[in-house]
Amino acid sequence: MTSTKSASPFEDNIAFIQQQCGMNDDFAIRRFHVFGQYPAVIFCYDFMVDPQALNFDILKAMMYLPPQLREADIKPDQLLDIVVNDTLYYYKIKLEIRPKLWIDNLTRGRTVILIDGIDEALVLETRQIDKRAIEQPATEQVIRGPREGFIEVLSTNLTLIRYRLQTSDLRVKVMELGRRTKTAVAVCYMEDLTNPDLVEEVHRRLSKIDIDAVTDSGILEQFIEDNHFSPFPQVQYTERPDKVVSNLVEGRVCILVDGSPLALIVPTAFNQFYQTVEDYTERFLLMSAVRFARLIAIIFSLIFPSLYVAIISFNPELIPTEFAVAVAGGRAGVPFPAVVEVLIMEVSMEVLREATIRLPQQVGGALSIVGVLVIGQAAVSAGFASPITVVIIALTTIGSFATPAYNAALALRLLRFPLVVLAGVFGLYGVMIGLILIANHMLSLKSFGVPYLSPLAPGIFQGMKDMLFRAPLWWMPKRPGLLQTQNLHRLNPDQPIPPSRNAKSPLDLSNMEEEER
Amino acid sequence: MDKTRQITMIQIAAILVSTIIGVGVLPLPLFAVNALDSGAPLITLAAVLFGFISLLLLSLLGMRFPRQTIIQYSEQIIGKWPARAGSLLVIVFFAVLTSLTAREFGEVVVTSVLKNTPVEVTVIVMLLLATFSTRNDVTVFAYIHYFYFPLILFPALFIVALSLKNADALNLQPIWGNDPQGVIPGALTIAALFQGSFILTSVIPSMRRPQKALLASVVGMVIAGGLYVIIVAATVGVFGAEETKKLLWPTLELAKATSLPANVLERLDAAFLIVWVTAVFTTLLSSYFLTTQSLGLLFRLRDHKLFAFFLLPFVFVLAMLPQNIVQMYTIVRMVGRIGLILTLAYPALLLLVSILRKKRGEPVGEVAQR
Repeated sequence: MTSTKSASPFEDNIAFIQQQCGMNDDFAIRRFHVFGQYPAVIFCYDFMVDPQALNFDILKAMMYLPPQLREADIKPDQLLDIVVNDTLYYYKIKLEIRPKLWIDNLTRGRTVILIDGIDEALVLETRQIDKRAIEQPATEQVIRGPREGFIEVLSTNLTLIRYRLQTSDLRVKVMELGRRTKTAVAVCYMEDLTNPDLVEEVHRRLSKIDIDAVTDSGILEQFIEDNHFSPFPQVQYTERPDKVVSNLVEGRVCILVDGSPLALIVPTAFNQFYQTVEDYTERFLLMSAVRFARLIAIIFSLIFPSLYVAIISFNPELIPTEFAVAVAGGRAGVPFPAVVEVLIMEVSMEVLREATIRLPQQVGGALSIVGVLVIGQAAVSAGFASPITVVIIALTTIGSFATPAYNAALALRLLRFPLVVLAGVFGLYGVMIGLILIANHMLSLKSFGVPYLSPLAPGIFQGMKDMLFRAPLWWMPKRPGLLQTQNLHRLNPDQPIPPSRNAKSPLDLSNMEEEER
Repeated sequence: MDKTRQITMIQIAAILVSTIIGVGVLPLPLFAVNALDSGAPLITLAAVLFGFISLLLLSLLGMRFPRQTIIQYSEQIIGKWPARAGSLLVIVFFAVLTSLTAREFGEVVVTSVLKNTPVEVTVIVMLLLATFSTRNDVTVFAYIHYFYFPLILFPALFIVALSLKNADALNLQPIWGNDPQGVIPGALTIAALFQGSFILTSVIPSMRRPQKALLASVVGMVIAGGLYVIIVAATVGVFGAEETKKLLWPTLELAKATSLPANVLERLDAAFLIVWVTAVFTTLLSSYFLTTQSLGLLFRLRDHKLFAFFLLPFVFVLAMLPQNIVQMYTIVRMVGRIGLILTLAYPALLLLVSILRKKRGEPVGEVAQR
């Protein structure tokens, strides 16, 4: 209490709040009388609260005596009891005696009510924040599968998860991060599944973060990842609640941040970056083939340009003679060595791509046409690049677009450049050295203790069923072994497929028999 | 579960295979035909069995002392100072082996793909690659070997399968060979190619079930030895013994002589050589890892990462000492013979003394029963 001039503690408290928040123009202070006799004050931030609830469920209710107590004589010491238990049509009420916390609650959009003669303040959850509707996830679209995506508000996101995972074993632990933003961060896991050490480690890493602003889950990712200098992402993010749920029941931990539509999933292995939700909702044979295509796309986006440079500049004897002649013919007017040519084209492609992302959609289309024309047609006819280079660059770019996870595609895009340079210096030998370095780095990476290339690297055959291809669901009865879950089986191992009976066999049909007769 | 004991039996087998298969495969048929012309596959088989003895001794020792490497248990067996001298010899030998492997492969690359690059560059690139990867712990070391294992095995089998088109069984007859006088030195030269299997002693202390070391070494030796015999048989089958004698790297010539169906790639030798970078890398990694790890254990350091860069200049200078390819192969043969004494006689001595003195390491308790 700072002021000592006032007569009553009630006025002191009002002065305190006013001193802390009063100079904001969006801060509202409203004096009134409870039951027409006891002076009281309502504090709130104007535009963060639900005015309807404030007017009718709170103000109106407190101004009039409840009908069942019309006759009663209310003494000051009963007042609080009656207000909380009989008067307010509101289920989220807290009593708070520490003035410091009143301010905390106010900034969070709650309403604080002080009543003369009562030390505690009533704190009411009246927050109403405008939010966008639940839409289709923009970055992870599927043809077959749920269409809902996370939005910014944490409570809605948690609802989306709970509604898909209706079990009491789902644990949601909310902590507060960010010295100034005081952002709510929710850690979700399955109590009876997830390895407790993993949950503890996630909590430990999160609680050690001491930063003033947490504006997105991406900020947290950079603090909790294992290797900060690796180009490869070690934490997966998603805006799909169904993906979060399936990761939870695999025994992973999900982290949601208030204000961010992207949930983080840990631990993450590399193979998760090329799996999609659709791999599991569509039938296994088709999706295994699609996944193969995706893997080829990844390989394209990483090594294709460097392979081209190496073969053209060092080992043209590898490719069939007719083709080699055609390539040499195409390169006839090009003044640069292959490595420079490819690097120039790659860089201009990156520039073009960056430009299309930043531009509004209507203009973006026009730009991409110009870009394609310039890079494709004009560069070739200007003698700036050979046609085959354009083909290579196009395949590479398309390949990187086909990688489902943007952050993983970004890593491969980046690594392409050193590989091209190595190819220009050492030819195929350089490409191989570069690939070995990349592979060794990936093999040494760990995400929360799980090897990054698992299940390949430690050699877990159970997990390999979901690596290059996607095995039928009934053939994968176990959860990923390296997550060391408390419960291993995800389906009944004795009877993975329900037995089928031929219910409508033509032989059983009576009319068939009649016809034959 | 013990956190430090993570390596499985299959991983050990993969480590052995990818360590043994390396740059030595390229001149292997030449060594074999020089010893026993058309009996080359047979002498390779004999060398495999010979090389297996050393591996057998090492796995028996490793199972006796499942918590220690040879650097540590030799001190228990033959006393502190003799053991340190022996360990130092092992370390020096594997440093030399590392340098020779890098040099040999550097020469191959310079001769057949990068004709204008100085050999120093290819050697230092290979050594740097090994150095960076040596700085990982033993679990990652096992992952690396396990990961590259199929990349090493399948291209070799692929080349062999494609070359069978040109092979003639007559070239392999008589299978006993014609001129048995060079048999013993030839077999020793080939057996020396298996020295990398010494890495077994470094990884047994990290093995989940050290009792399986023997099984792992049998599996590893069968795969690696089998591949050796197949490659020798295929090369001699395609070129014949006399022709093979004129080739410096007959296996590379074998790749050159084959082509893919449908003419996807005109020539396979460069592609094969490039894929072979992984095989050489794993061999190099093993011998360098063994060197640095043993040095770390000898000086009682907690980890060996310090030595990875510290040793690099020495290994590089060693690699550059031979004047040319011919001198290099003379040194390779010589070092191989000396190495056989070290990798065969030293473990044999240790095993004998440990049996006589009834020395035995601490068994791995609860992990063993899992």
